[in-house]
Amino acid sequence: MEAIVDNLIVGFSVAFQPGVLLYAFLGCLVGTLVGILPGIGPLAGISILLPATYGLDATKAIVMLAGIYYGSQYGGSTTSILMRIPGEAASVMTCIDGHAMARKGRAGAALAIAAVGSFVAGTFGVVLLTVVAPPLADFALRFGPPEYSALLVLGLVFLAYMSSTSLMRTLLMAAAGLLLGCIGIDVMTGHFRYSFDIKELGDGIGIVPVAVGLFGLGEILSTPAKTVTDKVAAPRLSELMPNREEWRQSAAPIARGSVLGFLVGIVPGSAHIIASFLSYAVEKRVSKTPEEFGKGAVAGVAGPESANNAASTGAFVPMLALGLPTGPVTAVLMAALLIKGIAPGPQLVTEHPQVFWGFIASMYVGNLMLLALNLPLVGLFVSVLRIPYAYLYPLIIVLCIVGVYLVNNSIVDVWIMLIMGVVGYFLRKLEFDPAPLVLGLVIAPTFELSLRQSLVMSNGNWAIFFSGQRPIAAALFAVSGALLALAALSWLSRKDWRRGLPEES
Amino acid sequence: MNLRRDHAAGGAFIVAGAFVLAVSGDLPFGTLASPGAGMLPRLLATLMMVFGLALVLRAGTSPPLAELNWSDLPHAVRVGVLAVAAVVAFEPLGFAVTTALLLFVLIFWVERSPLLPALGFSIAAPLVVYVLFSVLLRTPLPRGLLGF
Amino acid sequence: MDRRGFLAGSAAAAVLGTLPAAGQDSYPSHAITFINPFPPGGAADVVARPLAAVMEPLLKQPIAIETKAGAAGAVGAQFAAAAKPDGYTILIHIVSISGFAEVDRLYGRPVKFTNADFIPIARFIADPMVLIVNDQQPFKTLKELVDAAKAKPNELIFSSSGLHGALHLPTALFMRAAGIQLRHLPTNGGGPALTALIGNNAQVLCSSIAAASPQIKAGKARPLACFGAKRAPALPQVPTLKELGFNIEFYLWVGMFAPKGTPSAVITVLREASRKAAADDTFVQAMNNIGQEVAYLDQAEFRAFWEADAKRVEEAVRQIGKV
Repeated sequence: MEAIVDNLIVGFSVAFQPGVLLYAFLGCLVGTLVGILPGIGPLAGISILLPATYGLDATKAIVMLAGIYYGSQYGGSTTSILMRIPGEAASVMTCIDGHAMARKGRAGAALAIAAVGSFVAGTFGVVLLTVVAPPLADFALRFGPPEYSALLVLGLVFLAYMSSTSLMRTLLMAAAGLLLGCIGIDVMTGHFRYSFDIKELGDGIGIVPVAVGLFGLGEILSTPAKTVTDKVAAPRLSELMPNREEWRQSAAPIARGSVLGFLVGIVPGSAHIIASFLSYAVEKRVSKTPEEFGKGAVAGVAGPESANNAASTGAFVPMLALGLPTGPVTAVLMAALLIKGIAPGPQLVTEHPQVFWGFIASMYVGNLMLLALNLPLVGLFVSVLRIPYAYLYPLIIVLCIVGVYLVNNSIVDVWIMLIMGVVGYFLRKLEFDPAPLVLGLVIAPTFELSLRQSLVMSNGNWAIFFSGQRPIAAALFAVSGALLALAALSWLSRKDWRRGLPEES
Repeated sequence: MNLRRDHAAGGAFIVAGAFVLAVSGDLPFGTLASPGAGMLPRLLATLMMVFGLALVLRAGTSPPLAELNWSDLPHAVRVGVLAVAAVVAFEPLGFAVTTALLLFVLIFWVERSPLLPALGFSIAAPLVVYVLFSVLLRTPLPRGLLGF
Repeated sequence: MDRRGFLAGSAAAAVLGTLPAAGQDSYPSHAITFINPFPPGGAADVVARPLAAVMEPLLKQPIAIETKAGAAGAVGAQFAAAAKPDGYTILIHIVSISGFAEVDRLYGRPVKFTNADFIPIARFIADPMVLIVNDQQPFKTLKELVDAAKAKPNELIFSSSGLHGALHLPTALFMRAAGIQLRHLPTNGGGPALTALIGNNAQVLCSSIAAASPQIKAGKARPLACFGAKRAPALPQVPTLKELGFNIEFYLWVGMFAPKGTPSAVITVLREASRKAAADDTFVQAMNNIGQEVAYLDQAEFRAFWEADAKRVEEAVRQIGKV
């Protein structure tokens, strides 16, 4: 413990150097910006600023680039809440209840809760990163393909709790999303699946174009301007902050989201999206008023927003402690360190303590900066809703097109976004909830790959998922099984209850 | 038979599932011990058709298709067609021209806003977006025939 | 403002169909784009960015790096192959560029582009691969690994960055030369492939030396053999496959290409700038930082090297076959 304090003192002495502070702030600022702009996410933001780091020393470079990454998780909620466009893939869940809150005139409250939740979760994540990174890293390593399959099965089981519509509709949406996720080159066998000779579809359909299309454009298509004029979306200044009741309702979800998010975040892979989905499902499961979800439940904003922030911090664990790039964002961060002649790896802490602890300390500072940056901005952002809708929605369409285009410089992505917008319009007409579709799309490629990887490892023996050699996988499957059993049980007992109903009446 | 909402919805998913099965072609199904590229998609397409069928069978309680509110359809078609036109023009015409035109047509023609504010907004907004992306974030946006 | 003015002018010229003549005398007269066919921070990106920084003052024009990632590098290569051959769209690609056509043929798909669609300009780095095993495995030498694999065929697992990818091809060549069979665990990138090895979900991996060396230093991975013609300076104690009696070479190289039909005057300018850039201290330092030696080859040698290398790659693709 003393060693940690000593190290942190070293770290803070680095983090508070004016130059380092400045670059941390720049990173947070750009992160907030790319988070707010729809489509363009942390990966694009970091790669854009990567060349700008060539003149900097390693600490400043990594502090700034990491700031972009966790900063984008703060900004991602803004457009989700105000316009129902996910500013960043992990903010899809915030669209649902965040935007519903905005429609009730609580946009300011939703933004403030998202900012505070992000701050609490981010800081919690850094504390854990400081104290327990090495043992957690070993845990992350034990997460191989079988464990990943088990985690995703759990995610699929949770799907049933996600939606505000009937189970059949949720299952249909999930199946459609999983199917969309199958498009592209099959990593195991090299077959092109359903890509119709379009090379851009080789890597599959991106989450960003689908989410922006289904949520953002779909919303615009089904909202003619004349229906909006009497909507009181823009709140008065005095109503910007959450009230006591809203704070109370968000405390527990923020705490749960932070823990869940961090745990899921250290698992290799792009887990922060899955973390926010899982958090939403958990909140709905434990809520006393699950029917509120989808209609502006505070917990539906607080939980997922905290989870995706904690997860983005958790993702640093395998990178810093093991030198393993487990996702695209950490891969770029590692490349940035490599370019500076610092090889991230197990010896990073001992060989470059200034960089390592300076980086950790800067994350404490960065999270404070982001809170200070985002809370005052709430008022400014909410006033976006004062722009007349006839001017606002054309601008949103432009932002959707530009943001989606810039992710890969790909016009194909923009077409996907447009098609998904039309699909989203009809799904709304037919009362389908698009969220399970997006989750299916996120899960499908990883689930299929890890399932088949597991079978390669076991030479085709399905026992690998349940054997004692893989306790984590077995435990996760047990949780899934228990949840299914519980659901079946309550379904059966409700049947009984209904059978008794006529006698009562 | 009275055509109801869930008849249409379920039917659409059955057709979609059948389409996926039809274009699955020579994707190998594989075995349980070693699933092929075609196993998961085929299973999912079948599942989707089954769920769709369940929806159709239980459609009796959903509202008739004709009673859905289609009043927003003309708006959706107008906006959708304009967005398609904008995407077609995005790379050849370049970002600035395309988005300015899209904004102006939507605000002035579709929404019938006054000319001057519409014109001002359509020129100012792309400029702000351009500064944001191309200057601050240094990401090149497509430049068209006119070079900007 | 000058640049914008010129762009407008050249665009007008393009409309009139006079661009090819207009641009040639003074190439480069406006910004050049390097196509990076991999995600940011990938193998081509880490070379392209310092290279662009060094070449900008040499060519007196800005160089933008455009990421066109997708399909393991095929999307970017196809984009560059179809670009106007005027010297303003340049491709930075790696060893795997030679494999796409062969893979397409293997699956009976229309071939989108071949090596003949590109003019090689220069090679900048060539990192020999290294074969590593997880430290919990008992093998201390390559011979022990080969013997174990022969005793229990199809038992040990090797990971890769993806089917027919840059980490799969050398493993396939080695397996055939050694007459052994290992199980293939494909992942979706070099990072996940290394993670699988360190987590002991795979036991064998052919990796670039740059990516593997932190793990080798930390004792989490054990190098058994290198794929270079001679021993690598970073791993002097590790024998080459040639020393061990396997006639295999395999490099993770990064080179510069222009679309077929680019005027030779333009190519000359780019060759000249590349030669100077490769000798530039800033660039050499940047390459050393990412664990690489500059291994510059000018057009003629690069073309010869590339032809020989393409044969190796195509052979490896055929060896793996359709899965």
